[in-house]
Amino acid sequence: MTTVHITGSMLLQLVVSGLLAGGLYALVALGLSLIFGVMRVINVAHGTLLMLGAYTTYWLFTLTGLNPFVSLVVSMPVLFVVGVVLQRLFVHRVVEAPELSSLLLTFGISIFIANVAMLAWSADYRSVEFLTGSFLLGPIALSKPRLVSFVVALGLTGLAFLFLHRTKTGKAIRATSQHRDVAQVCGINVRRIDLITFGLGAGLAGAGGSLVSVMFAVYPEMGQVYVFKSFLVIVLGGAGNYPGAFFGGLLLGLVEGLASLFLTAQLSEVIAYVLLVIVLLVRPTGLLGGRT
Amino acid sequence: MTARAGVLAFLLVAVAGLAVVPLFASGYHVTFIIQVFMWMALAGSWNLISGFTGYVSFGHVAFFGVGAYTGALLITKAGWHWLPAGVAGAAPAAALALVIGYPCLRLKGPYFAIAMLGLNEVVRALVSYFEGFTGGGSGLSLPPILSIAPVYYAMGGTAAAVTLLTYRIITSQFGLRLLSIREDEVAAEVMGINTARLKLYAFLLSAAFPGIVGGFYAWYASHVEPLSVFPLLTTITMIIMCLFGGKGTVFGPVLGAGLLSVFQELVWARFLFVHQAIFGALIVGVVLLIPRGILGVLQQRYQLPRSI
Amino acid sequence: MRDSPILEVREVVKRFGGVTAVNRCSLSLAPGKIYGLIGPNGSGKTTLFNCITGVEVRDAGEIRFKGGRIDGLKPHQVARRGIGRTFQIIRVFPELTALENLLVVTRGPSEAARRRAQELLRFVTLDRLQHEYAGNLSYGQQKLLEFIRVLITDPELILLDEPAAGVNRTLLNELLAAISQLRDQGKTVLIVEHDMKVVMGLCETVFVLDYGEKIAEGPPGVIQTDERVIEAYFGR
Repeated sequence: MTTVHITGSMLLQLVVSGLLAGGLYALVALGLSLIFGVMRVINVAHGTLLMLGAYTTYWLFTLTGLNPFVSLVVSMPVLFVVGVVLQRLFVHRVVEAPELSSLLLTFGISIFIANVAMLAWSADYRSVEFLTGSFLLGPIALSKPRLVSFVVALGLTGLAFLFLHRTKTGKAIRATSQHRDVAQVCGINVRRIDLITFGLGAGLAGAGGSLVSVMFAVYPEMGQVYVFKSFLVIVLGGAGNYPGAFFGGLLLGLVEGLASLFLTAQLSEVIAYVLLVIVLLVRPTGLLGGRT
Repeated sequence: MTARAGVLAFLLVAVAGLAVVPLFASGYHVTFIIQVFMWMALAGSWNLISGFTGYVSFGHVAFFGVGAYTGALLITKAGWHWLPAGVAGAAPAAALALVIGYPCLRLKGPYFAIAMLGLNEVVRALVSYFEGFTGGGSGLSLPPILSIAPVYYAMGGTAAAVTLLTYRIITSQFGLRLLSIREDEVAAEVMGINTARLKLYAFLLSAAFPGIVGGFYAWYASHVEPLSVFPLLTTITMIIMCLFGGKGTVFGPVLGAGLLSVFQELVWARFLFVHQAIFGALIVGVVLLIPRGILGVLQQRYQLPRSI
Repeated sequence: MRDSPILEVREVVKRFGGVTAVNRCSLSLAPGKIYGLIGPNGSGKTTLFNCITGVEVRDAGEIRFKGGRIDGLKPHQVARRGIGRTFQIIRVFPELTALENLLVVTRGPSEAARRRAQELLRFVTLDRLQHEYAGNLSYGQQKLLEFIRVLITDPELILLDEPAAGVNRTLLNELLAAISQLRDQGKTVLIVEHDMKVVMGLCETVFVLDYGEKIAEGPPGVIQTDERVIEAYFGR
């Protein structure tokens, strides 16, 4: 039997790494939360959109040597357009339908795109070797790519909030997600808002993908894990509660980080699920309060 | 009454025809029909909870996987014969449905779907974790199967049982009450219907059969591993088959499973590399173009009885 | 000697976030009578119905039916004690046929239930349409269907949420006759209604709600001239 002696610095290390991961979860989940909040559509293709963002960055980096963080200015608009096209062609037709339709539709889109990606780029794992290594800050080691990604994710999340609160379109998005009918009566073109929201959600997923690519392998199915995690974040934060998604993301990162001290990755997934079900049952409005 | 007799005669001929297939057909065809039976049973089971009550079980493959592992363990570790081992798959599947359904069937709309999606991930994680028992990621290997005809009858019997049960339910007040939950749950409750209990019953039934199918599958495939028995794609496939044929009908899942299996077999053979992309496009097509399914459309257009 | 009340609502409170939808509301209904529940939009009438039928859980107060507490019971338990209701916005089961809409809620042997269902369909002249999906029926027909769906469970207390809204005159008269008939059979009826003529013609006692509080109670003639009621409706 080996006994693990848990030191304060170990704990601190885990808290910090957990929060770094959480910043990314928050960014990705915010995109999903916007779409869910406005249209009640569970976008199962969110992880696939993330994957497209990652490949955008990968190819720009590999072919032109473009700085992956700078490539965000390409990947986000590209994914915004992809999102708008998907919404325009398919998703708008299931907005008012029961959830089964949107679940299946987005799943169909998801495996279609993922398999086309597989055909085009193969299933090989690829990596963007841009920033590597870590530096020490007192007793804890900070991975450089994770730290930079975290800061960028935070910045983008902040920008998204500014957009939602300061611009007319942002306010219209929030209004639509609170009361779709009322928004419509008040002269908001909800179809247009849906279009923008899906584009925005896809753009945030794409940004998440760009940031993931500097830390982890890039391959067609890389996005899958983020779908369920994003739901978890939304549930923790409360549906339609966008700041909730942010704190939910950090919280999930933190919980995962600390759980890794005691549990294997598999068991921490189980814990996350139990947490999800408990929150859904006991506080369906999310830990931070939201609307049902 | 004559229409009814005609349908009955047709069914009898079909069943009799299918019953003698293993005597003539090649191994390839028998194997293919076993797959079709499997999908009929799975799509029909999903129909029992989701087609009737509208609660979307987005992790239904979990029950199949649990049954598969139960069968595999009973055969390899306890030395059971495959038939009772397969049937025994129903018990843990139903038990899981009870534990999960009791709390989660209170969740409305998308939240139930999310919880069920998560359930599947969790069961897979647990199976991988208890390596000593389940073989972890590499799974469990079973003795090679010598004759597939018995599996053919077992799987066919299960598919028939699901279909018959669906018929019995749809022609009963229990079935009407399940439909009323789909239509308007609050109104159903206010009218004195104990929706919580009925949903749970439907969920238990809809979980038990995939457990049995999983048990037979383990024997037939001679190998189970987390990746092969818990894929989300299997859930989606049973849903789309049920939807394509017509959810909330008796023969919708049968029709959907049959047609889409044939379609998949053809596509698989011809377009090995793009078949998943084609399947994705098919899903989108079904959802957007015929969400009611073939029988649903016919039922509405020609005012056919509910029990088709 | 007065009958003991069939329904007693005592000091019931229901809040939604910061809004108090029903505020310490008390009502008492004697069996075999028709009561009206009126008040401006948003005064808490439907919320009170929801509390009585268990659709919403009241925050405070108690509700008794035939002497037994029913607050805290689930909606189907309340229904089985003998309370039936209709909804302000029609809630028939659209993809069940008219006949199935009735059969789905019956209890007991199916043959008798089927006979009773057909009898009720005839009563509201929907028997020709019994195999039609309820969703394909006209608004008025759906309203009648919802009404007889309540009757088939044979409740002792019937709560009707705006039965007259959107119903044409002929249909309305039939409906009113049917409601009177229910009273004659010994049922108790509580009606939420905006149409004052209906309330005046039918109800023996009227309760008036405003901002979730009961501001008046009495025979319709008296209520009509009540200062507070006029104020509630026409502003202050």
